[in-house]
Amino acid sequence: MKNFTLGRYMPIDSFMHTLDPRAKIVSMFLLMIAIFIPAGFVGYITIGLVIVLAIYASKLSLRFMWNALKPIYFMLTFLLIINILVVKSGDPLFTVFGFTIYTNAIMHTLYIAIRLIYMILITTLLTATTKPMDMTTGLEDLMVPLKKLHVPAHEIAMIISIALRFIPTLIEETQRIIKAQSSRGVDLQEGKLMEKIMAVLSLIVPLFVSAYQRAEDLANAMEARGYIPDRKRTRYKQLHIHFRDVCVLLLCAIVIGISIGIAIWL
Amino acid sequence: MPIEVRKLSHIYNEDTTLQMAALNEISTSIQDGEMLALIGETGSGKSTFVQHLNALLLPTSGELQIDDRIIRANEKATQLKSLRKKVGLVFQFPEYQLFEETILKDIAFGPKNFGVSEEEANQLAAKYIQVVGLDLSYLEKSPFECSGGEKRRIAIAGILAMDPDILVFDEPTAGLDPKGAKDMMELFRELNQKYHKTIILVSHDMEHVMNYCDRVIVLNKGKILKDCSVKEFFKESDLLYQLNIDPPSILKLKDALRAKGFQIDDDALTLESVAACIKKEVRS
Ligand SMILES: Nc1ncnc2c1ncn2[C@@H]1O[C@H](COP(=O)(O)OP(=O)(O)OP(=O)(O)O)[C@@H](O)[C@H]1O
Ligand SMILES: [Mg+2]
Repeated sequence: MKNFTLGRYMPIDSFMHTLDPRAKIVSMFLLMIAIFIPAGFVGYITIGLVIVLAIYASKLSLRFMWNALKPIYFMLTFLLIINILVVKSGDPLFTVFGFTIYTNAIMHTLYIAIRLIYMILITTLLTATTKPMDMTTGLEDLMVPLKKLHVPAHEIAMIISIALRFIPTLIEETQRIIKAQSSRGVDLQEGKLMEKIMAVLSLIVPLFVSAYQRAEDLANAMEARGYIPDRKRTRYKQLHIHFRDVCVLLLCAIVIGISIGIAIWL
Repeated sequence: MPIEVRKLSHIYNEDTTLQMAALNEISTSIQDGEMLALIGETGSGKSTFVQHLNALLLPTSGELQIDDRIIRANEKATQLKSLRKKVGLVFQFPEYQLFEETILKDIAFGPKNFGVSEEEANQLAAKYIQVVGLDLSYLEKSPFECSGGEKRRIAIAGILAMDPDILVFDEPTAGLDPKGAKDMMELFRELNQKYHKTIILVSHDMEHVMNYCDRVIVLNKGKILKDCSVKEFFKESDLLYQLNIDPPSILKLKDALRAKGFQIDDDALTLESVAACIKKEVRS
């Protein structure tokens, strides 16, 4: 819980932080698409290079990125075991206790692992370098064409922004409640199963109560300031596309181009 | 159970850009039966400090000893339950601990966790709800229907019911009306004098500190700025002004009287004793 990095914004002064959120969101989508183009290891190396470059340009610490990947280690190990048991194609690699492991089992796992890791790194890069408010402004702008199709672009953007905004708050709140209950003898680490269930209950109830309370307060505060979703609103912060944003988009377009090229001609 | 704190430091979010040193090599000791006030500006590290006393936070460096339990940095602390039975902590924001359907169950929750039987825990709940100044009709109410001040009292009752030897209150009178706050302070004094509990009180109210506590520790930016007896602390308002604290009105009154040429005793800290000083002056 302490090193929770997924979706957290890190206030640093870096090149990535100065990019236009729209450029970053579109770049993220482009790279995501590129990940799913079957372009073999050359394709993955290209994307990998771009990610390394982006991490460098974001000044995020390697430890931070490593922490962001933590949630999937278990999943990847599990996947590897399943693949070793199930996949029986390719060349036999080696045999342990009469059980043969095939190259394809390793390759399959590797492919999935790389994709997953890339996806998480890219999303982390986006969320860590873009303030939640900028993110929603960007999303809303990108969804403007959808308004013609009666998609409630502004409402969706607002919901996303509120959700993003409250993730860290809820985590903090959970930690506070854990502390308050630990003071009263709730034991989350040691203790029997029944005690643990009771312990979790003693956390969930205050958490829900405070989340609802917060939602209500927020709704009231918004209404008190005359918030009506479908009214036209002006913005304090205007987004501008700069030369650097164009460069980043171009770079991502080139990556996609390379991947498609490899997938078709090689 | 004496508390011994040795070079205790706490850094939040260590090794990230959000790194924040909240406590910086604090050393002090707290004896049995003390009534200690912990004061300091917002963000000076008071809440951080008190959370170390029952090992909710572990030191980043340094150590603290409570009775014979030593809690060190970089050492996984286990079996904390016994420690938490001895050191009861009431949080700054009491609503974080209320969760049961009824106040009865909520107050009984702590004692039951420490192995008290259901029946006995319910009796404790009935006893302590009255101790904190609410009547028995509250027991069947939901804690979520209560006002902020009532919630605070219930949260305090929940900790008192655990009968810890050391009681730590983080701003216990915030959100209470003046009369309620005074009653609460009287209760703490009684717990201290009659039941010999060690009381550690985080407070912003200098009147309370002056009238009820024996000793003051001033924290500033994670360091101990001043650690002395209440008598010494409130001797001169100059010291308080230096520390950026607004002195209690009795000190201001003494200053005003002295400015007009009256001789007032340093340890006259109540209206009566100041009045006695004036009388003496006028007579002579
Ligand atoms: N969970 C946390 N994560 C990061 N920083 C924190 C956390 N809790 C407190 N801090 C920081 O540590 C410093 C000390 O905080 P603390 O809560 O101990 O202050 P305090 O003296 O209790 O203040 P107050 O009088 O407002 O209650 C503050 O600067 C605060 O921003
Ligand atoms: Mg505090």
